[in-house]
Amino acid sequence: MLTGILRRVGRRLLASIPALFGVVVVTFVLMRVLPGDPAVFFSSGPSAGKEEIEELRRSMGLDRPIPVQLVRYLGEVATGNLGRSMTTGQPVISDMTRRLPASLELTCTALFIALMFSIPLGVAAALRPGTAIDHVVRMLCTLGVCVPTFVSGLLLIYAFYYLLGWAPDPTGRIDIFASAPPDITGFFLIDFALKGDWEGWMAAFSQLLLPACTMALFVLAPLARMTRASMLAVLGSDFIRTAHAMGLSRLRIIVAYALRNALLPVLTITGIVFSTMLGANVLVEKVFSWPGVASYALDALLASDYAPVQAFVLLMAMIFVMVNVTIDVLYGIADPRVSVA
Amino acid sequence: MAGGALPAAAQSRAETLRYVTGATINTLDTTMPGATREAFGLSMNVYDRLFSFGRKKVGENWAFDPDTIRGELAKSYSISPDSKVITITLRPDATWHDGTPVTAEDVKWSLDRHVTAKSLAAPQFTTGSLTKADQFKIVDPQTVTVTLDKPDRLALANLCVCYAIMINSKLAKKHATADDPWAMEWMKTNTAASGAYIVDSHKPGESTVLRRNEKWIGGAGGALPFFKRIIIQTVPEPATRANLIERGDADLAIDLAASDLPTIEKSAKSKVVSIPQTNGFTHISMNTQMAPFDNLKVRQAVAMALPYEDMFKAAIFSRGTKLYNATWSTVPPDASFPQAIPNKTDLAKAKALLAEAGHPNGFSTTFAFTAGQTATAEPMAALVKESLGKIGIQVEIQKKPDAEFNTLESEKKMPLFTDGATAWLPYTYYFFYLYFTRDQRWNFASFKSKKMEDLTLDARYQTDKAKYEEDCKQMIELFNAETPLIMLWQPNHDAVMAKSVDGYTYQFYRQADFRDLKRV
Repeated sequence: MLTGILRRVGRRLLASIPALFGVVVVTFVLMRVLPGDPAVFFSSGPSAGKEEIEELRRSMGLDRPIPVQLVRYLGEVATGNLGRSMTTGQPVISDMTRRLPASLELTCTALFIALMFSIPLGVAAALRPGTAIDHVVRMLCTLGVCVPTFVSGLLLIYAFYYLLGWAPDPTGRIDIFASAPPDITGFFLIDFALKGDWEGWMAAFSQLLLPACTMALFVLAPLARMTRASMLAVLGSDFIRTAHAMGLSRLRIIVAYALRNALLPVLTITGIVFSTMLGANVLVEKVFSWPGVASYALDALLASDYAPVQAFVLLMAMIFVMVNVTIDVLYGIADPRVSVA
Repeated sequence: MAGGALPAAAQSRAETLRYVTGATINTLDTTMPGATREAFGLSMNVYDRLFSFGRKKVGENWAFDPDTIRGELAKSYSISPDSKVITITLRPDATWHDGTPVTAEDVKWSLDRHVTAKSLAAPQFTTGSLTKADQFKIVDPQTVTVTLDKPDRLALANLCVCYAIMINSKLAKKHATADDPWAMEWMKTNTAASGAYIVDSHKPGESTVLRRNEKWIGGAGGALPFFKRIIIQTVPEPATRANLIERGDADLAIDLAASDLPTIEKSAKSKVVSIPQTNGFTHISMNTQMAPFDNLKVRQAVAMALPYEDMFKAAIFSRGTKLYNATWSTVPPDASFPQAIPNKTDLAKAKALLAEAGHPNGFSTTFAFTAGQTATAEPMAALVKESLGKIGIQVEIQKKPDAEFNTLESEKKMPLFTDGATAWLPYTYYFFYLYFTRDQRWNFASFKSKKMEDLTLDARYQTDKAKYEEDCKQMIELFNAETPLIMLWQPNHDAVMAKSVDGYTYQFYRQADFRDLKRV
């Protein structure tokens, strides 16, 4: 079974290489087609004239024809050099390695919170369709989806930080006056736990809670709705009726038989939701000054800073591939009948 | 600079200043092409220059004073009778952050770098006639001379600006390579400085932490700055920055939304310091090389059709100084600039002028602004559209992403747009030289005038004060007659800080100077 999974993973990864290549090329060309000249933007000093703009363009390699630039860029990407960001002045690769764990930590926590709430809510709604519970769940989901994340984020900050003073100030991953954990994995919660610094862990966790809840609120709806729909379908099927007829306990039927089968489509949605969250949490990152990759890419995009945007898109494509492969594997575990050719 | 662990408990909160900003410090070397305004602000605090502008009271508050220049790394200076040789004596006890003494050799190397290396310093220094390395000579270990071909009035002032940093040449040279003789690559992420603060940790886009240089002697009267530690933190959302200040968790912010200011003014823990940006102006530019704005009468018609008062209120909530409605008509009362220009709203006259120009039924055009200035420019654009519509000019509003706007502006492709400008060296001649001569980016209106070129050239090397002022008055007169762009106002520089913070000074580079601040 294990070798089967490994073979499948290997095949999927190989098959994704042309797609990744396409993503690199399309982003590269797209960035250069967009109006806005980075050389002009970044030589905006009070004395920058035509010569300085030309010089900057030359130093960024933008004076050459686009095909030449592309070949050079592909060569650099192949050797792991993603260029230098003009916005932060650092190599893109070091920016990314510092910021990706921040984004992943936030997204994973948010997803965990969302699943914690959405699955019970979805199940509850499915067990009593058309009742008050169902309507309350529907209303909650609608609210979560309707309110844009920056609004819910600002509201949460206003309530819990500004008015009540319960939450720490919403600026980054840890209180600016406290010391950061040693850099082991880049995930603050894990690093603090490894070090055994539980006070630091609580500090990092309380910083994380508000932005994670903001994001969780937003993805509650697709997860809960999908759980409800798929649960309804499963509950109406023959084997559940049989189980009831056999006199199995209600809890056992719902959790062991119905939920396990209902989770398959939820798993697929979770994969999609996760990838979307990672790229789309830019507003949450902005509102909470979270030093993640999405806000980094947006800043770069506004400044026509090519290298970080290209690297970001490539990174997202790679994560998307990884998530899909993981979901495939999980699918196989949840339902042994599934085998992807 | 890994980790960024702060010795937090050791220093008290009162001696720490927490500054929150929306922008990023993208280089520690301010002369690097692409340096952000935040990077300029950092370098003023970390590096010393030879000279520094003084400061003066403007109403209740402080602003920089370009008319007094004091030594920073220089102890004293003298200028030869023909105004061509500046002799600079260094402070004998000045040291670099690594403890080695500051010598004339370091100063010469730094100045050489600024005129030789491909950095932003070189074009700035040409405005002070500082162009070649052989203009700088070492007389003895404490003395350097600067020799000018002509007595340029801005030579000394150029040694005060953000680019004119003095660099520890022995340290920098260790990191220079054959391809990079001026250590430009190394200095992006490292410092070789002598200034009031030392960089403790630098995480671009997150935070930068500074600690006080206890051996700094470049301050006015040799005093050390009050704050022992400065935390510069990037907080992108203006509403969050406002919350932090209002709650008293952060001490200083300078780039909040104008709409947040009234609340903060009423709050118990924070205050707003509003200082007119004496070296800046917001304007509406018309492309004088593009029809129909190549016609003077069209430009005058637009200048008469703008609803100045409404724009002043809607765009900046009247927080600034008006640059319209002056009472003079052709000859300005004095040689200062920017000063109010006699533009007034007069729709009937505007319509008549437009008819004289051959557009009795008006025309269609676009009005552009950058997305970065949406808060002020969007309400302004709506008023411009409405008002110009009344005289028959159909305006399409275009909001452009910053990079695209800058490109269009640089390539002179927009007929009508609004933007802001600040000059580091706020001398009347320099304003006109920078914004109204030559085919270059900052000539917003693409203004071409032989007379203006001649006047700025004469003023630049003019040693007779009365003649200089006469030149300046003529420039203002010519500007008013030709109306290449329409002056609107000088927006206030609004710094928001904890009630306990005092001494904030408006600087020409529009950033906080931590050296002036104290907690009372």
